[in-house]
Amino acid sequence: MPVLHDDLAGLALAIARGEDLPLRIDADYVNYPAAVALEVYRNNYRGNLHAALAGAYPVVEQLVGEAFFRRLTRAYIACHPSRSGNLHDYGDDMAQFIAAFEPARALAYLADVAALEWACHRAYFAGDAGTLDVVALARLPHERYPELVFHMHQACSLLHSRYPVAAIWQVHQAAMPDDCSIDLDNGPCHALVLRRDDAVGVVELPAADAAWLQLMHAGMPLGAAVAAVLEHHPDFDFQAALTNLVGQGVLAGFTLETTI
Amino acid sequence: MSMPAGHKLPCTAGIGLRAAHYREVLETLPGVGWVEVHSENFFGGGAPLHTLLRVREHYPVSLHGVGLGLASATPLDRQHLSALRSLCDAVQPAAVSEHLCWNSAAGLVINDLLPFPYTEAALSRVAIRVDQVQEKLGRRLLLENLSSYLAFPRSEMSEGEFLAELVRRTGCGILFDVENLYVNTRNLGVDAAAFIRALPAEAVQEYHLAGYSVRDGCLVDTHDHPVYPEVWELYERVLQQLGPRPTLIEWDSDIPLLPVLLGEAAKAQQRMEECHACLA
Repeated sequence: MPVLHDDLAGLALAIARGEDLPLRIDADYVNYPAAVALEVYRNNYRGNLHAALAGAYPVVEQLVGEAFFRRLTRAYIACHPSRSGNLHDYGDDMAQFIAAFEPARALAYLADVAALEWACHRAYFAGDAGTLDVVALARLPHERYPELVFHMHQACSLLHSRYPVAAIWQVHQAAMPDDCSIDLDNGPCHALVLRRDDAVGVVELPAADAAWLQLMHAGMPLGAAVAAVLEHHPDFDFQAALTNLVGQGVLAGFTLETTI
Repeated sequence: MSMPAGHKLPCTAGIGLRAAHYREVLETLPGVGWVEVHSENFFGGGAPLHTLLRVREHYPVSLHGVGLGLASATPLDRQHLSALRSLCDAVQPAAVSEHLCWNSAAGLVINDLLPFPYTEAALSRVAIRVDQVQEKLGRRLLLENLSSYLAFPRSEMSEGEFLAELVRRTGCGILFDVENLYVNTRNLGVDAAAFIRALPAEAVQEYHLAGYSVRDGCLVDTHDHPVYPEVWELYERVLQQLGPRPTLIEWDSDIPLLPVLLGEAAKAQQRMEECHACLA
């Protein structure tokens, strides 16, 4: 049905790319010309995508203010057409976009805040994972501990930044007082995104804990991962790190490395 | 966990449930017959789904999709459809609906509800997709009439005739958005009486009501106002001609306090009861 395709493609390009009005629509309506109708669709398109970005990046919007955020989303929308019928999928490139967005250059930390917010957005929608079976873990003979591979809950992710992005995120949550100040030189920061009782949170991890979690997440068994972390962080407290991550629901399960 | 009967929406008024009201609805359990949510807000099975399942313990739920784009020029998004199937399995909804519109062409997705020419060719393609969706979900899909701001000279039939033929070919049902029809009468000069006459009454399973706004002479289906008197009047005509059906108040932008939304639902409920009385 090439004619149908042409009609729809022409209208899609007119809405998203501002191209000329397609020829195959009625020119006039009861109270307005076709140009008004097209403008309504263009506004809907931009408005819906802007709302999706505002929903995913509330801290970025607070940091730059509504007017600058609108300028940012307008530029983003012009470069990034939507690819999904689910608006919650829209906006995944914002961190990279901000990093290259000239008007935001003075805000060096903004791209990392955006990356953290996208991780939070995905964490909210991420599927459920099991809880760590501590009884099965306790039954495991000690000599097999080095073979353990822990699995991170699919809502969790780790993010490293030169800036204190976890603190920036935290002071922009509704429950925090207005008069917080953050020293931008207080970085770097290892931010862990997690979800507990349906609420998404961001906590900061010690560098050694973050390195260990990263290695575990990459599939490295416990023995090798702890040894690798101790090389760079001789005071790494494995027991404390494990207790903390289990307590926060970050570790959703474990397997034993299969011996080849 | 016990769930209220899920196979059918009660013939009462319901409300569109949005994030702003999740907590209050769960804490106060207002006396409303059922709720409708946008399907895509619960894709993925995470925190939002947990909330919806708690709501589902107290109310029949209708899943209303805004993103499948059944009349698109591109193939049906399989991933989207699978996510909808998983959601249906989890929620056991009383109704599942989508819009008679498209959202994807030329490599672009336009996250809106877009109109298309009502042609025989379009009918064939939409019917195939409705069949695919109904097969995947294992249930009847309701298709909603569109509010449209433009029209195509190539259309070979009216939207009402298109919907009626779609019902005949696929066995789908119709979600009759009364406000959308009103918007089309004002913008496009659509004949409301002819539209209502064209619909097979037994296929109409649900009504929608909402408020619109006006931009440069064009009525825009913004769902950000109370239902206007003209739309209530049209609703009363629809009730008399097609009979009462589960009726939803939709409010998606500038969302009011919950009691305001419930007040609108009560107005719909009252009109349904008056209609029941006069039909009795």
